[in-house]
Formats: sequence, structure tokens, C-alpha cells
Amino acid sequence: MDLTPATREEMAQVLRGATADRRVVDVRGGGLHAHRGWPFTPDDVIHTGGLCRVVDHLPDDMTITVEGGVTVGQVQEAAAAHRQGWPQAPAQPDATVGGVLAAAASGRRRLRFGPVRDSLLEVVVATGDGRIVKGGGRTVKTVTGYDLPRLLTGSLGTLGVIVQATVRLWPLPMAEQWFTATGDDDHMLALAQEVLSALHRPTAVILRPGALHVCLTGVPGDVVAPPGMAPGHEPAEPVGAGTVEAGVPPAALPALVRRLAEDGRGYEAWMGTGVCLVAVESAAQVAAVRDLAMLHGGHAQVVDGDHALRADPFGPVPAGADIMRRIRESFDPAGIMCPGRFAAREAVPA
Amino acid sequence: MTTAAAELADGLRQILGADRLLMGDLARNLYSHDGSIVGGDCGMVALPETTDEVAACMRLAHQAGVEVTPRGSGTGLTGGAVPLDGGLVISLARMREMEPVDVANSCVWVQPGVLNLDVSTAVAHLGLHYAPDPSSQQACSIGGNVGTNAGGPHCLAYGVTVQHVLAVELVRPDGTVQVLGGVAPDAPGYDLRGVVVGAEGTVGVVTRVLLRLTPLPPDVRTMLLDFTSVADASAVVQAIIAEGVIPAALEMMDRNMTLAVEEFVHAGLPTDAAALLLVEVDGTPAEVDTGTAVVQRVAARHGVRTVRVAQDEDERALLWKARKTAFGAVARVKPSYYLHDCVVPRTRLVEIMEVIAEITEREGVMCLNVFHAGDGNLHPIIALDRSDPDETERAMRAGDQIVRACVAMGGTLSGEHGIGVEKRDYMPLVFDEDDLQAQACVRRAFDPDGRMNPDKVLPTGTRCGEVGLADTQVPEGTWI
Repeated sequence: MDLTPATREEMAQVLRGATADRRVVDVRGGGLHAHRGWPFTPDDVIHTGGLCRVVDHLPDDMTITVEGGVTVGQVQEAAAAHRQGWPQAPAQPDATVGGVLAAAASGRRRLRFGPVRDSLLEVVVATGDGRIVKGGGRTVKTVTGYDLPRLLTGSLGTLGVIVQATVRLWPLPMAEQWFTATGDDDHMLALAQEVLSALHRPTAVILRPGALHVCLTGVPGDVVAPPGMAPGHEPAEPVGAGTVEAGVPPAALPALVRRLAEDGRGYEAWMGTGVCLVAVESAAQVAAVRDLAMLHGGHAQVVDGDHALRADPFGPVPAGADIMRRIRESFDPAGIMCPGRFAAREAVPA
Repeated sequence: MTTAAAELADGLRQILGADRLLMGDLARNLYSHDGSIVGGDCGMVALPETTDEVAACMRLAHQAGVEVTPRGSGTGLTGGAVPLDGGLVISLARMREMEPVDVANSCVWVQPGVLNLDVSTAVAHLGLHYAPDPSSQQACSIGGNVGTNAGGPHCLAYGVTVQHVLAVELVRPDGTVQVLGGVAPDAPGYDLRGVVVGAEGTVGVVTRVLLRLTPLPPDVRTMLLDFTSVADASAVVQAIIAEGVIPAALEMMDRNMTLAVEEFVHAGLPTDAAALLLVEVDGTPAEVDTGTAVVQRVAARHGVRTVRVAQDEDERALLWKARKTAFGAVARVKPSYYLHDCVVPRTRLVEIMEVIAEITEREGVMCLNVFHAGDGNLHPIIALDRSDPDETERAMRAGDQIVRACVAMGGTLSGEHGIGVEKRDYMPLVFDEDDLQAQACVRRAFDPDGRMNPDKVLPTGTRCGEVGLADTQVPEGTWI
């Protein structure tokens, strides 16, 4: 059944009911991060589109509080009216705030502005068993209590539904520009490393097969084309049958990229951060990318793909899996919330 | 001593040797205190030097069912490292090793007893630093910083401790050792690392920390601005940020504090000013020039008397010394102090400063203010003589009213010091029962027996309720 609760209380009520009836729930925001985890069949799909209000926007304090179904585009638009923005968010205007946070989907500017989890100040979640729980605080700095915002970021809907979030905004930069260069892979890799070592805090250094895209942010005098590059545009989001996100130590990215290039794989490496998106077409390719990432001390998870690609979406059981299980049990005692997206689940049933 | 305690002591002595297990009255008394005015009851103190020793101590405590309180340098201001029920204190002060810096990934593993400032000093030659810089950074330890998710003046632009900790090695309450997080970003599963940082020693003992190191800015400028009213200074704080400039640091000091500090540091501070702002902008030379121009323009608009720009590194260091020794300077006024570190939205600064002045005047106590104005993180310091019970009582009352006023303005209890014992019972001001219960459950997930630094952070009586269903298994047929 498809459900679209209109308020957080309705959301909690729906989840209470689902827990009582042991109905497996999938949560859907903009649908941009939905194809993750082990495939599972939900009894109910709960949409967050009814939670679409901007609750409180305080431009002078540079915070905005929105319901979980508000889109990234709406936040950016509201913020831009005051020359502010949410630089940690991905460039996906139709993604919802709740979805972006649940997926810990950081934007390409994380090299300068950090991951999206660092921008979340307060979170309100409707737990799997239908309680409304708040964590964090709306001030730009708080160490009051356990860090539920960080726990919820990246929880992929397995603890509950993010019904409200307060994020920190930043001033829009005085100047920002993307620059592009094209050429053979070795040359582009060398250029990327040059940009990283020569410039103070570049905003994004994005390497793709045969092309380098660099974003610079700051005062006009600093936003000038790095040697060998020309003004360009932010590259389009990669599209393909499937995408694996590999995370490796930043210094291992060049080696990873070289191997991917040798194998003729499509990729988008966020140089300096350790993040690399890799296009995959089969479960065997997922495994190969993961092996490569693990060889460099990293990991890899499928962030978009059909059922066949998601036979092993997360890789080895994470450290602290028993802690994760107990946390999940306390938020979602019936285990109804997006069960396929819980990376620390016991074992795959035969 | 109970038999269980005596057996624990025997076991610990075998692991550590007699000289690294402290049980004398002096030691037990010392370790019953931290930088706050909270006093506790310490049973014995273990001084391990390795992760293996900590794990062995934890296994013994687990078997004996004894409560454990981890401790760093003991500079905390909320009683977080103070044992309350005669349990075991594990001091990490002797674990002071730094591993070689991973230059390529700009990070370094350190043991928790390493002092905050020593990290930056050790990596400066590589053009790097460790960004969080609590004012106590010469004395406070990385382990303590992790426990409280410590801040500091430069967290305005750079972020607090959790944003600079890539991984922690955690000895869990049963003595098992686990690394949570890593240099590779965004591992699958929940961000347990993010929960451990700021958990105030209630989830285990952190025995190694992987710190992210940040490049030193190519250029930096430090300015001291003085004003004849607190309202003008607060308006400048707001206006600088409204102009789109996030300074590296933006600190305020009121007249009482300026007087105390100047007498101590002799930095040439204008002691007749109502409020001083210490503003630092950093980045590329162009960013610094632009930021400086904005600060000066905005300050002029709000009646700044003088703008003193540090001319060299020595002068910059002197201005920062004035700021960072402020707490110590209070000793020139009264032997002790009591402070809160609540946060208000930056836009309410003028209002809260007026309210604090009213409260402290009404209670007849002296208040000195020095704080992180840029992020609204207050430090109203009430100077007191604890041998005067009446003054102590009035100081406590004033502190209580200040906390409530901050929360009423949309603020929160702590910006960087943590909750500990001292602010524990204020938690219901900002969280309801469901919120607190959820936090208790997160804590219990790490420490099912509730032996780690008990009675801290959450108000007494907060329990992870019986939310579990009889059958928590996913129903059959859920999976495809």
C-alpha cells in the first residue's frame, strides 16, 4: 500500500500500525537514493511528500528547519534569497532533505565544505515503532546529549523516518567557477594532483575518464583558471545501469583510478576526499571494485542498481555490528524499517 | 574495601604493577575532582600505558561488575571525569604516544593522553595543524576532547572535534577492542564513531584516535576591536557574518574579564572598553584582505573606538594568550569560579548579555564574560569563594537562571564542555522523555550493563525502556 502521511503525527501513527501488524515498510522521498541495499518487498511504501513545509528559516542565524519531504531545491532557493546556500548537499534539486540525510549523500563540494553529516544540527525522527524523537539542537554548535543527528545520517531509513531536520547554511561565495580540462588519463591525474597541492582549499577536484573538473570558491581574485584548465560547467551527474561508491584513503585514489582506467570502467573520483563513484554492470564488477577498494584499505557499496547488482550491496559486516543491531532494535523493535538497507543484519536468508 | 574490590585491586596490580595502581587517600581524593566544582568518590585509579593494558583492566572490571570512569587531563568543567560511586578511574594520562604522521592522507593516530596543543606543535613543520583549539589546549588531552566533543575559538570556521576525528579505537565495556571509522570515508553501517565522540566516556574507553590534520592557512590576520557598549560589539558580530564573512575566530570579552586578563597578561588591552572583539580571518592573501576590509568597515559603522591589527606573530600570540588564559585570570578576582557554556542563536546575543547582567546583579555575584561570540557559545564565569556558603549558593542560583534563560531563547545547554554531572538534570529542559529514552538506548547498545561512567549525561532515572517486542525477528518471507 502507498501511504503519504501529511504530518509527523500521522507518520508516527502509520509506523505504530505497521509495527503492530509487522508490515515491512519502505520509505520514499525523491526516489534518488532508493535503489540501495538488499532487495526487499515492502508491504507499505511510505512517501514523505506530505511533509513538505519549511518550519523555520532564520537567515541571520544561518539555519533552516524543514520537514523531511522538503526538497534540496527548495532549501537552496529559500537560502539563496538571503545570499546563503547548503554547500554540503548534492546537486540534486529533486532529492528530499530526509532522503539526502538518510543516505548520507554528500555533494561534490565536500572537499572544501565537508560531508553532509556535518551540516545537520537537529533531527526529528519518527521511529520504526512510532515515537517522535528529537536529537541535537538548532544552534550552530551543541554537544548536548548523544549525537542522534550523526547516527541518523546514513541510516538509510532503518531506524525510522526523518520527519524534520535543521541544517546549517553558509554564505554564498563571492565568486565560484568550474574549470575543465580534457586529455589522456595520466595527464589528467597529474593535473588533479597539481591542483590539490598548489591551491589552498579547492572546492572540488573531480576526475573522470579523459577529463578533469575543478570548482573554485572564494573571493574573485582567487577564482582563476588553474594552469592548463579553462572555464567550464559542473559535469552532469553520472548515469548508468549501476553505481558503486568506493571509499578509500584519499592518497589511494590515484592508484584506484589508474586500475579503473585500465579496466575501462566509468568513474568519477572526488580527488582529495577518497570518494569514487564507479559505473558497474554486473555483480561480478561490484565484487571487483570492492576487492580493489579493500586492497587499498577502503570499502565499496552499491548506491544505485537493479536487484541483480545488489546481491551483496555493502560488503563485509561492519565493525560494531552488534552495537548497530541493538540500536536498531531500540528504534525499530519489529524490524520493519527498510530491512534490506541494514548493513549490519545477521545473515541473508537462503 | 569489599572482597570484590580487593580482588579487582589484586588483578589490576598484576597487570600494571603496584606503582600504576593508586589507592591512597591523596590520590583517591585528587581523582574525585576535575576542573569543575563537582566532587565525587573514587575507589582506585589505574594508570595503563597501552591498549592491551586498558583492555585487561576493562575485562577485570567487567568480571567484578565495577563501574569505570575514563579520565584524561581532568580539565573538564562539568564533572564528566569525576567518579561518583567509588568505582575505578582509568586515567589515560600516561598514554602519550603519537604515531608517525600519515602525510599523504593528512592524519595521525595518537594515544588519548597526548595534549591537544602538542599535536599542532608536532606537525607544524609539515604545514599542518589540528584545528580544534580549546582554551585549555596546553593542558587538556585528545582523549578528553573526544569525550566532550570539545570546541575552541577556531571551531567557528573549522568545526568541532567530531569533524576532525576520522576514527577511534574503543575498548568496549567487556574489554574487546574495536576500531570505528577510518581514513576511508563513509563506511557502510551507522556512524558509531560519531556517537563515541561526545559520549563523555559512557560507551567505552577510547585508546587511540585518528586525527584529521588541516593545512595551515597561507595567510592570517588577527584584530582586536574595542567598543563602548556590548550591544555595539554584538551588532558587529552579527553584521560581519551577514556580510558573508565567516572569520576563523570571533571572540568577545567584557570589561570585567578584560580587567582581570590585562592585569595578568599585560597585552595592552583597553581596560576602559565595555567589550572587546578578537577577530581572526585566514585563508589566501586575497581572502584575508577582503575579510579584513569587511571587519573594519562593519566595525566603523557600529562605533568601534580602535582596531588593533597584530603586526607580527608575537603580537598575534600575545592577543591569543590574553584570550586563552582568561579562565586562569579569574583567580586574581576570586579563588574559584562557576560557569556554564550554553549556546543561544547568535541573533539573541545582545538580549542574553543583558539578561545575564540582570541575573548576576540581582544575585549579587560578579560575572566575567569571555566567549565564542561567532557561534553564540557563552561562557558566563561567576567568580566565587567557595568557603563562603552564601556566595556559593547565590552563584549556583545565578547559573541556574542563566541556563534557563538561554534555553528560553531557543538555545541549548552546552556548546563544547559537555553535560557531565553538572548539567545532567537540565536535560529535560531541551529533551522530552522519548528523546531521552532514545539516547539511553543508544548508550545501552554500547554498554548493556550500564557500568561506563554511570550517572553522567542523562538525568537519573532515564532508562532505555522495554521497547523491544517479544519477537524482534523480521517475519518470515520478508526477503526475496
